[in-house]
Amino acid sequence: MGQRVGRILFSLLGVAALAAAGLLVPHFLTPANLLNVVRQSSIIGIGAVGMTMVIVILGIDLSIAGLIALCPMVSGLLMLQGVPIVISIVAGIIAGIGMGLFNGLMVAKLDVPPFITTLVVGQVSQGLALIMNNGRSIGGFPASYVHIGNGSFLGIPVSDLLLLVMMGIGIFITQFTPTGNRIYALGGNETVVRQEGINVDGLKLFVYAFSGFCASIAGILLSAQLDTVHPIQGDPYLLDTIAACVIGGVSLAGGEGRVAMAVAGALIIGSVRNVLDLLGVHPFFQNVLVGTIIILVVFGSGLSRYRRTVPV
Amino acid sequence: MRGIIQTTLKSGSAVILVLLALVGIVFVRNFASVDNAAVIVRQSAIPAIAVLGMTMVLMTGGIDLSLGFVVGLASTATGFMAKVWGLPVGLTVAATLLLGALVGLVNGAIIQYMKVPSFITTLGTGYILYGISQLVSAGNVITRLPPSLLAVGRTDLLGFPTSVYIAVGIVALGWFLIHGSVFGRALCAFGFNSRAAFLSGLPTARVNVLTYVLCSSLAALAGLLLTIRVNAAQPNMGGGVFTFEIITAAIVGGTSLFGGVGSVIGSLFGVLIIKVIENCINLMNISYHLYLAVQGGIILTVIVMDKIRSRAA
Repeated sequence: MGQRVGRILFSLLGVAALAAAGLLVPHFLTPANLLNVVRQSSIIGIGAVGMTMVIVILGIDLSIAGLIALCPMVSGLLMLQGVPIVISIVAGIIAGIGMGLFNGLMVAKLDVPPFITTLVVGQVSQGLALIMNNGRSIGGFPASYVHIGNGSFLGIPVSDLLLLVMMGIGIFITQFTPTGNRIYALGGNETVVRQEGINVDGLKLFVYAFSGFCASIAGILLSAQLDTVHPIQGDPYLLDTIAACVIGGVSLAGGEGRVAMAVAGALIIGSVRNVLDLLGVHPFFQNVLVGTIIILVVFGSGLSRYRRTVPV
Repeated sequence: MRGIIQTTLKSGSAVILVLLALVGIVFVRNFASVDNAAVIVRQSAIPAIAVLGMTMVLMTGGIDLSLGFVVGLASTATGFMAKVWGLPVGLTVAATLLLGALVGLVNGAIIQYMKVPSFITTLGTGYILYGISQLVSAGNVITRLPPSLLAVGRTDLLGFPTSVYIAVGIVALGWFLIHGSVFGRALCAFGFNSRAAFLSGLPTARVNVLTYVLCSSLAALAGLLLTIRVNAAQPNMGGGVFTFEIITAAIVGGTSLFGGVGSVIGSLFGVLIIKVIENCINLMNISYHLYLAVQGGIILTVIVMDKIRSRAA
């Protein structure tokens, strides 16, 4: 009950904030700008789809910072060698899923805390991205690859469509399949799920691999948008992705949180940055505001829930 | 004392450090020298100060993701006060530490009284602190700091800069605070079971807030000494990379992410392990680009070994 009220309040506040921004900032509520906001939020949003599932099972995936650099580096280098684009992209995605699977193996089979496993795997991925091209960036990709990041289809940027597709996959898995039910159950109470005879290890492997998959898509999209792969391009996106989930009400206490809401969280971060840009506020100030929003949203919307589950 | 030695051995970090050092002595040229040992000590001094605060926070079952950004804020503030305002050294140092304490107070108050989980609070304040440091510095790096300020951390005593002695003093104090004081007992009790600690009449709120105050103050001190060491003040000092390095050191040193378990000596070994790995990689002239991957690989191996060992036990 409290949760539903919170969710309605959250949406109302969101609409009110959007309306206020539209009134105050002349060019904010134009279709072109809104599509642009979505495009700018797409990297964080896609990352947040996978991150949501990881946080729901009481994990965290810090490796996406490295994967957002490693996966497009793999794809980009192959592409520049003349390998067909589709195969190159698939290779990058496989790299992401592979690293994700490794995360899952460490967490499920060896019981290493997700925080530390994914942190180190992220560092290794980052290192690999650096080694592959001796620390240099690559760029000048084929036009059809750059089109993924900058082109549009039926007037809608391809980035936006890709975000929609990834969100759709995430929503489908979490809300319309037995696997989704098990993911939420696992976050609620692992012991009970084990006693039910559900393959917990397999489930964890799947969730981390899926997060690696999302990170690879986010990374490849980013490099297509910029027409460049920089070996440390993933760093700024890690905290933003976690922040998006948190703002979207995904509970760090596990078992709760919707993919769509996390994507909404990403859009909120994107809108805040966009509005401040349009107002000509110094970009440095954006960090201050995003940080404040993170704390206030969790304080406001999750009050009752966190009181119950986090015993501090 | 015997208890401390036992916990250290149990955490395995001492064994790992000795193994790594042996590998270094046998396989890495120039590793086994007094000079090189001094280099490792010098490089470990500042992280050792920061890891102390993180260990305490982790022991409460919390986490401080803002640590690296406190380092950046302290660095910016130090440079600003010493160079732009021309404040005397004593005042600069005191104000920087006070600033750290203030950040910790805000973190602790939000976590304790607004009931926002520490992960989210410090994620948020990290953003805020980074933004503030960038606004204050306007993106500039302040270099060539006044010699009187540099003297605080750089004065040479018997071959080591003063920052090493400061670190040794702080670690000794921290060891006493965690393992020999009432506060340390309360910290452990709170981390194991905050509810039980509260019901037993411990001043849990005060302990929790004080832990974050200490952590941020130590981070500010680390930021100050780091600024002095590189003779440059800027918001990008520390950051997320430093935060995660410190958390890794604490965990490699046997501190639990789930609260209640941690030791100063273990965390110190954690820092030394990371710095020995770094040192070996430097001496072997491995390309900087390989560095991250190799270091990550070794740390992962260390953690997995420790897991398997503790499972067998």
